[in-house]
Amino acid sequence: MNDLLFSQLSTLVAASVLLFGILLVWRRSLLAYIKVFQWQSTMLTILFAIVAYFGNDPKLYWIGVLLFFLKVIFIPRLLQRFLVQIDVEREVAPYINTATSLVLTGVMVLLAQAMTNPLIRLITLPTRNGLPFAVALIFIGLFVIITRKKAFTQVLGFLVMENGIAMLAVLGTFGIPLIVELGVFLDLLMGFLVMQVFVYQIQGTFESIDVSKLNQLRY
Amino acid sequence: MMIVFHFSLLLSPPLLAALLTYLVRDYRRWVGWSNTILSLISLGAALGFVIRVLVDRHIPTWGLQLDGLGLQDIFRVDGLSALLLICVTTISTLTLVLSPGLGKKDDFSDRPLRQYYISMNLLIAALLLATVANNVGVMWVALEATTIFSAFLIPFKLTKASVEASWKYILINSVGIALAFVGTVLTYFDFVAIAGEADNALNWSVLIATAPRLQPEILKLAFVFLLIGYGTKAGIAPMHTWKPDAYGESPTPLGAMMSSALFAVAMYAILRWKAVVDTAIGHHYTDTLLLILGVFSLGVAAFSAVQTRHYKRMLAYSSVEHTGLICLGFALGAPGLFAALLHLLNHTLAKSFMFFVVGRIEDRYGSNAIDRVRGLGKTMPWTSGLFTAGLLALIGLPPFGLFTSEFALFRAGFSLHHPWLMVVSLTLLAIIFVAFINHLNHMLYGLTPAGVAIGETGNWQLVPLFLCIGSLVILGLTLPTPIALLLNQIVTTIAS
Amino acid sequence: MTNMMSYGLEIGQMLLALALAPGLVGLVRWLKARLQNRLGAPPWQPYLELRKWLAKDVVMSTNASWIFQATPYIVFGSTVTVTLLVPLIATPIAFDAVGDLLVVVYLLLLGTFFLALAGLDAGTAFGGMGASREMTIAAIAEPTIALSISGLAIGSGSTNLGQILTTTLTDPAAAISPSHFLAFAALFIVVLAETGRLPIDNPATHLELTMIHEAMILEYSGRYLALIEWASWTKFLLFLSLLANLFVPWGMATLVTLPTLALATAAWIGKLILLASAIALLETRVAKLRLFRVPELLSLSFVLALLAVTSSLVLK
Repeated sequence: MNDLLFSQLSTLVAASVLLFGILLVWRRSLLAYIKVFQWQSTMLTILFAIVAYFGNDPKLYWIGVLLFFLKVIFIPRLLQRFLVQIDVEREVAPYINTATSLVLTGVMVLLAQAMTNPLIRLITLPTRNGLPFAVALIFIGLFVIITRKKAFTQVLGFLVMENGIAMLAVLGTFGIPLIVELGVFLDLLMGFLVMQVFVYQIQGTFESIDVSKLNQLRY
Repeated sequence: MMIVFHFSLLLSPPLLAALLTYLVRDYRRWVGWSNTILSLISLGAALGFVIRVLVDRHIPTWGLQLDGLGLQDIFRVDGLSALLLICVTTISTLTLVLSPGLGKKDDFSDRPLRQYYISMNLLIAALLLATVANNVGVMWVALEATTIFSAFLIPFKLTKASVEASWKYILINSVGIALAFVGTVLTYFDFVAIAGEADNALNWSVLIATAPRLQPEILKLAFVFLLIGYGTKAGIAPMHTWKPDAYGESPTPLGAMMSSALFAVAMYAILRWKAVVDTAIGHHYTDTLLLILGVFSLGVAAFSAVQTRHYKRMLAYSSVEHTGLICLGFALGAPGLFAALLHLLNHTLAKSFMFFVVGRIEDRYGSNAIDRVRGLGKTMPWTSGLFTAGLLALIGLPPFGLFTSEFALFRAGFSLHHPWLMVVSLTLLAIIFVAFINHLNHMLYGLTPAGVAIGETGNWQLVPLFLCIGSLVILGLTLPTPIALLLNQIVTTIAS
Repeated sequence: MTNMMSYGLEIGQMLLALALAPGLVGLVRWLKARLQNRLGAPPWQPYLELRKWLAKDVVMSTNASWIFQATPYIVFGSTVTVTLLVPLIATPIAFDAVGDLLVVVYLLLLGTFFLALAGLDAGTAFGGMGASREMTIAAIAEPTIALSISGLAIGSGSTNLGQILTTTLTDPAAAISPSHFLAFAALFIVVLAETGRLPIDNPATHLELTMIHEAMILEYSGRYLALIEWASWTKFLLFLSLLANLFVPWGMATLVTLPTLALATAAWIGKLILLASAIALLETRVAKLRLFRVPELLSLSFVLALLAVTSSLVLK
């Protein structure tokens, strides 16, 4: 019973994390992106807590706390401050229109399910059913990075992809070794800060954060 | 106890150098020089590791027994690591010797110079960490860190082009390296599913011992992610798109580091993982993937080399070409691996050398467009000689080291019954050959444009460059015994 | 359970639904007014509106054909039929054999179809506009409903509504599966679209640029208007009940005795009030979408429904 509950709960929360990923594809305003990311990270924190509780791994609580501070509080706050400074509100006309994007998102989830199906059959972890959602979220993050024109949105796509990877790690392995986990957090934080710096520089040199204007370099 | 000391001799100098640069508020020339001297200590330590591996015939390992942290045997230097350590430390010393801010009349200001030295030393530290880390997770963390530090180095001069290049660089590489992490997690997941949770499960030595019991399906999927991920970092086509932009816009020393040391470490990561996957499921699967990507890289390099109009971007396409060749070598069994590793060593030396030569040309002509550079032979006689030699070496002509390794590589291919693949590859190499010679002719002859001064400056910088090309010639004429021994040892551990 | 009692239950359920529908809509309006710091009309206002319309004469365009006259009866009739088929307070009901999800969906679509025809029939510009918009929405919304319910159907092995409910009741752990969750999200969006709520349609305005449902019925008056509005309110109630019962079936009666039925009715009304408050809150928080964003929102719900189906297939 306990295992069944664990399995159902973790899969449910994993699905809701994915849901926020799909919402990101639908939304247009940059502020809404931040909110969606914040909610997604909150759900992810809950997922960490669930796995820590049922999997009996107190270490994961601490990682969850770290994740909460980093992804629910710190990064969204920096992003909001950035929005105030650059005064851009919307993602205008992505390379692929929203309806098509959403359908493609659905296809990507199907692909993820097809890809992970053989893996799920091989193992007996109670959390295995959430794995397709994690892989799907990674794909969605990639998709957002590729199809969106604003550097800001690309950063969010990257963060969502990171969430997908974190979800994959926690569902598939109940947390990777601590030293690696800490290194990953450090890298994520620094990577995010560097990206933030460069978005500022793009804004400064191109007077826009539209990456379709980054077309100086040919041949 | 000695081992700890040895590892810290290797890893701490770049960190100390970064700290020193950070502490001395205004940049001084002696800071730059002490950075160089500190890098010599790392180089010495790396040589020490080679001696340990070759002469003492054991694998230096060090770690902490702390529960829950996963620090057991965290550092480990086998033959492969030792080879890479030599590559990384040599190039970092060369780079620091030829860095800006060492001569008397450099016109760089204080802030960018300090930022440069700090980021460069941290980049070197991350590369060394990636090489000695036994834990593949830590290796990943270190490689991701190199992306961050090098991104800080690209816009040394802030222009539209450099900002564009660094944005593409950081975005594509961050995404790529994140995919490599997916692969790492999938493998760990495989491990946990079989052997239960273990702190040292991500240690390469443990992985390779457990590999035969891992699930082939999961490993196959994991390897695809790892190959795409680290392949992005190494610039295997079609994940190479950041390369020409970043190489074209980065300042000379960073270009040298990225194209040689950073590239070598990324290929090293692929090789490590290939060894694990091969142990589990046989080498056929990884070989096929690498052969496809290798030939594709050669093709992309050939067509881009014809089109290119900038000589730094030309070097980037040459990098894509050599990436392809090394991929081919990895996939061609033991003799191929031997050739590929030798090629990696040669390429590391040749490519960083070329970047410094090209840096001199760019400083003089103030542009990296091939059209703008004319009459190089008259303008900078010594530099143009070095440039020609370097380009011929990169094309793979004798008497340079790359000729020997390419020859060995193709011989391995033919002997393994891949004649058609080898013929296609050779044809593509021929296209690259013609394209490069064409660009070279254009640059060497003709009239020097008005406003470009004639005659060499900064002659002392030519000395290390002549040393480089000299060693390339030596590597082309003979294969020094220590290198042969080291390569043989690697091939027996990795390819068995 | 005797046949008589069972049919009595059916009739009672239908009457209860018809009686409560105006009150539910009134409640949402009143809650919204309160949330917006307005006094608002009392919750029983829709009953007064119904009485007013029923007392008034019908005015008809001279261009209108028999379709215009027949539509109110067809719409009302199909909705009333659906109230008989959907389990509202008790789960094994007499018409369960017919209570298939496809029947329900297409009965409701029949009403929508005739409403759109009638909108065109009167020959005014607004009617045509409303009809075309309604059809655009319905074209995506209807398959989404079918798809999201089949997501649930796969879990229980039947497209029969009663069967799905019974399965969820007997196996509560299955109710917190991702396919349930995704199907709920999909269905919730579609319900907003089908019942003409914000952010898809604004039930409170007659602003020509934005209206959809209101545009179609602009030509109706008197008892025809009463029938159509009553039917659409009942449809709202039906959809909310579907949402409540399919995903949180607990509290429904499985035995037909008076106390259990009373308890089930109370639980049902409680669930409806909760959902109505959620909708009121949502309508206060969000603004109406631009019309061309509506298909995008609906394709979002379509994707969610599709994922509900595939997850229930994959994770079975």
